[in-house]
Amino acid sequence: MNNLSVMGVKPQKTLPRATREARRAYKIIIPILVYMCFWGLIPLVLGLGLGFVEFNGLSAAPKFVGLKNYIDFFTTGEYLTLLWRQAWLGFLCLSLNIVLSFIVGLSLNVKSRIRGLYRTSVYVPSIAAVSITTAVFVALLDPYSGGLNKMLEAVGMAPVVWNYSQFWMVFWIAVFYVWRSLGPAAIIWLGGLQSIDPALYEAADVDGANFVQKVRYITVPGLKFVAGYIFLTGIIGVMQMFDVVMFISKGNPYGMTDVLMYRIYRDGIVNFNMGMAGASSTILGIITVIFALIYLKFFFFKKED
Amino acid sequence: MTATRFVGKSIWIIVMSVLAFLMLYPFLFSLLAGLNTKAEFSNMGAVLLPLPQTPVFSNFTFMFTPSGIRPFINTVLRTGWYTVLVSLIAVLFGYVMARYEFKGKKFVLGMIIATQLIPAVLTLIPGFVMVARLPFLGGNNWMGVGGKGLINNPVILYLRLDFTYLLWVFLFMQSTRSLPRAFEESAEIEGCGFWQTIFRIIIPLQKPIIAVIAVNVALATWNDWLIPFMYINKVQYSTLPAYIGTLTAALQSFGDKDYPKLFAMSTVAILPPALIFMFLQKYIIQGIASAGVKG
Repeated sequence: MNNLSVMGVKPQKTLPRATREARRAYKIIIPILVYMCFWGLIPLVLGLGLGFVEFNGLSAAPKFVGLKNYIDFFTTGEYLTLLWRQAWLGFLCLSLNIVLSFIVGLSLNVKSRIRGLYRTSVYVPSIAAVSITTAVFVALLDPYSGGLNKMLEAVGMAPVVWNYSQFWMVFWIAVFYVWRSLGPAAIIWLGGLQSIDPALYEAADVDGANFVQKVRYITVPGLKFVAGYIFLTGIIGVMQMFDVVMFISKGNPYGMTDVLMYRIYRDGIVNFNMGMAGASSTILGIITVIFALIYLKFFFFKKED
Repeated sequence: MTATRFVGKSIWIIVMSVLAFLMLYPFLFSLLAGLNTKAEFSNMGAVLLPLPQTPVFSNFTFMFTPSGIRPFINTVLRTGWYTVLVSLIAVLFGYVMARYEFKGKKFVLGMIIATQLIPAVLTLIPGFVMVARLPFLGGNNWMGVGGKGLINNPVILYLRLDFTYLLWVFLFMQSTRSLPRAFEESAEIEGCGFWQTIFRIIIPLQKPIIAVIAVNVALATWNDWLIPFMYINKVQYSTLPAYIGTLTAALQSFGDKDYPKLFAMSTVAILPPALIFMFLQKYIIQGIASAGVKG
């Protein structure tokens, strides 16, 4: 202390290093977390409560209705149909994407100078916003002026009114989903394929293994982790997918391609039926959280074995 | 090269080129359609690509006239703001989490991981209700009744900061943990304070990971059409992808559709992400795996 005063430094209370660090840490972390909680935690709590009220989100006060919204969800049949469609439509899109992206990943695992060009072009669709790229699909599918029907007519086929057919709308939703999600999945597959030690294949060759055996005993086990990653993150994504449906089909024809997430969006933002939106959000959210927990277990706590 | 291998390679090149064309087709379509006049586009015959007889640039130049440029400017500002803000938060928060010991650190870490599992559906509609019912704002009284809160107020595009951004904090923390402490220790001996250590030592050393964070946040913000689409319904306050979203959604209904103008706008909206992708590809690819952690 005296030495410091002599040197002209103002004597100050020096805190232990640990205390200083802790104070610094709190000063930085607490404001950020509090602010984030405002935007993240309040809606979360609000959402759980929203399912138990009738509320138009505007002037009138929310009216407590107990479990009515949840009972409606399970008894009217409408919402269960939408949930089921969300599941099968999502599963269809996802499984197509997993298979096709694996094939593309395999094809990209070829040594060639132009491989980078192909990899880039496969990836580019995923860096553009859904709201933008769907416009091209909608323009091509326009029943009267759309390019697709003009081409069909040019080769002598009857034009199709795509919007009037559930099959075709599901088909185009799946095409768009795969077109957009193929790249990232293919790159992840490719990363998985390249992380398999080539020495394993050489050893298998020495032991006289055939192609099928190599795939069965080396490639498949080596890709287990990557496959789980693509599958589970994909499920979490498609269970909440509504943008593609909204822009490409608007749920048409006659709501036959409508999905639960799109209904939640309309209930909340368009029709101001906040209670029903809250109840369906909670149900869909819980289903998604279950998948997320499986994913967490698979990823963070499975590393020991 | 044997004959079979040559044939195999040729088939590979043909198949992959077709695939690449299909993947890029909507972008080519959009660029060329934007160069048409409305009349020419609607009278287009059965063609793969809508090549105009004489390209017109009015659809593109319109976007840079005073009446057409607002969404573009808003998108640029919003992207810049979130990129800088989130990168800074990730650096400070992540550094403290990586290096400092304090009570509650385990809890904060648990919170970072747990919040990544919250699905977007749980907060989408309640978030909207909250913003509409914020007290004292937009004509609301202290109970949050009477007005519209921050709905349709451009400020909302800059204020939101939800838990999803904690992913980048996590990423920066992980990468700082693997950094040797020697640099910071010698800096401290030389008399560097906290802020100097951050700006002179940590940020220059961690440039690659900061680039991963910045590039991914920039892309995500630029492409985030949903938040402006939900909260804003004035063109002047909206962002480009959100405005295009309203036009795309309107395509399904009857009425006048100006496709070339829409596609010119789309092309301009895709250009910045495409440029980022072209030049900073490796940072995006690195971010794929970590971005997947999001619930």
